[in-house]
Amino acid sequence: MKRRSFIKKAALTTVGTMGIPYILPSGRLFATTNPPIAEHVVLVLFAGGVRQQESVAQRYLSDSQGLNIQGNPVEGNIMYNMLTGAVPEVKIVYGTDSVGGQPGGLPISPILETPLDQQGILFPEVRFSSGGTGHYTGLSTAVSGNYGLTQGLQNRPPNPTIFEYLRRFGGMKGTDLWFIGNGINNSTPLLNYSAHPNFGSQYGANFFAPNITFGSPGDAFLKGAKIYHPEEELDPMREMRAFLNQSFMQEGKAIPNLNNTEEEQENIKAFIKQTFEKRDNNQIEFPLVTDNGDLETIGYATEVMKHFKPKLTVVNMSASDSCHSSFTDYLRAMHRSDHAVGHLWNTIQQGNGGAGIPGMKNNTVMLVMPEHGRNAEPNAITDQNDWFSFDHDGDLNSRRIFTMMVGPGIDGNLKIGSEANPVGDASDLVPTIAEILGIKNDVMGQGLLHHDAMSLFDRI
Amino acid sequence: MNQKMKVLSLLLLCLSLWTCKEESYIYEVNEVRVASSNTDKTKEKTKEQYLNIVYANLFQTALSPNKLVQASNVVESIGDKQVAYETILAKFMKEGNVVLPSNASMRADIPKFIIETYERFYVRKPTEAEKTFFVNYIESHPNITPEHIYFSFASSDEYYYY
Repeated sequence: MKRRSFIKKAALTTVGTMGIPYILPSGRLFATTNPPIAEHVVLVLFAGGVRQQESVAQRYLSDSQGLNIQGNPVEGNIMYNMLTGAVPEVKIVYGTDSVGGQPGGLPISPILETPLDQQGILFPEVRFSSGGTGHYTGLSTAVSGNYGLTQGLQNRPPNPTIFEYLRRFGGMKGTDLWFIGNGINNSTPLLNYSAHPNFGSQYGANFFAPNITFGSPGDAFLKGAKIYHPEEELDPMREMRAFLNQSFMQEGKAIPNLNNTEEEQENIKAFIKQTFEKRDNNQIEFPLVTDNGDLETIGYATEVMKHFKPKLTVVNMSASDSCHSSFTDYLRAMHRSDHAVGHLWNTIQQGNGGAGIPGMKNNTVMLVMPEHGRNAEPNAITDQNDWFSFDHDGDLNSRRIFTMMVGPGIDGNLKIGSEANPVGDASDLVPTIAEILGIKNDVMGQGLLHHDAMSLFDRI
Repeated sequence: MNQKMKVLSLLLLCLSLWTCKEESYIYEVNEVRVASSNTDKTKEKTKEQYLNIVYANLFQTALSPNKLVQASNVVESIGDKQVAYETILAKFMKEGNVVLPSNASMRADIPKFIIETYERFYVRKPTEAEKTFFVNYIESHPNITPEHIYFSFASSDEYYYY
């Protein structure tokens, strides 16, 4: 009798963890193909090109510039929200400026009491194993799980993105999925869906580039837009448009769209209106320091999360790419990217007076990964401190990246892999997110990922 | 002799002038307004084309190059293009300089308003079915204004094509 009871309870638990099946828009019955680990994922693309030496290796100026003072290498950790390690003691240039002080001489205070590497898992040596180490290829690989060797700028990723997998196999709606871009350059707005014939725009994610949407162009063309009355104005306008569209669609014309419902579209418009108002009233939850575009982007990303509670939010940064011509600016950008990640995680877990973001607190896994690394050898450009700059041309060093994940169900204080034993690939993020959100088998079954792609949970 | 030659030359000159006189013809054609049908519209407008045309249709003036770049960037910065275009349209409508017929003039001659609206936005005449639909719709909805109808046309699928 006890055995029967146990089997019954185990079966009910299994069904419960798999979620209640429902019909997908495609007509297929949806049930998660693996038990989900969390309901929300935030992917931070710590992008712009970050070297292992100055990030996880914490060598500050010793490797890149060969700086020693009295025989001691100038080393230290400038990403102390993410990594455990002592900060540099000399040559501090990465912080904020003070009147009469050394430029950048005031490091930004840490936000998180416990660095993320102690809260979660760090894969310190991951490989960008294929393709060119360009920004767009890196970002495209992160969201599609495939390097797409023949694809370049002005083209959408050739293979489906994680957004499309989630909408097609996870039954998610458009406003469940957001890509928050740091701008509209480098084809960033093309990353929200692929050109794959079996997927495409109807499964795409919503996108904002907040520096444009809520910057001066948005002020000129969006802010203060007229709000029509839902029943007295919007309904008849939609009825008339439906008639016009019906007449046109009889000719077989299809307009590419994200397949947001009318309610979702009105919700996005309401968010735009509300965000302008909050910005003007200084109510956007920006990080403490906002002296570069990445930090502002992160502030708006937290607003998107608070409003839409997305199942997946992808946000990218890029200021570290200043390393092409200024190593000093690169250090400052990397320090700020760490500040941004700390702010994002803190807002989800502890913002709003400790309440965090309702629904997302303790129910979100955050992943952080640079899109690629940078060269081992410098270029010929030196900056204001006579420090050498670095490009990213595809040498072995530019293929070295790290990945971090933190959240419920993720072991803490775990480091997997080393320089001598790399573990993980840049294409792993898609199967990892798919596993967290419960559609791994569907994604793997499509056979459209890079041949080395594997969920990070399977690499542990 | 010399006198005779002069008279003869004068006669020949007069004769040649008379024989060279051409009849003049004036050709005329009936005025025909060229308008496409919606079946001819197969190319999707670029965002720059859309913004330029909608601005001209609404304000009856051209959008400046700087403003076009800004507006185009705004569209690029929002994933759902329909949301982007509709929000921009709603912003235009609030600016107050849109050239709109009055509600009274629309209702004074609804068929004329419908024909002009189709020509303004779709560069074609409405079919009888389209005209009938809108006449009935406007007559049965007293709160509908030209602004609502312009908004519907400017955000409709056919308007994204040329």
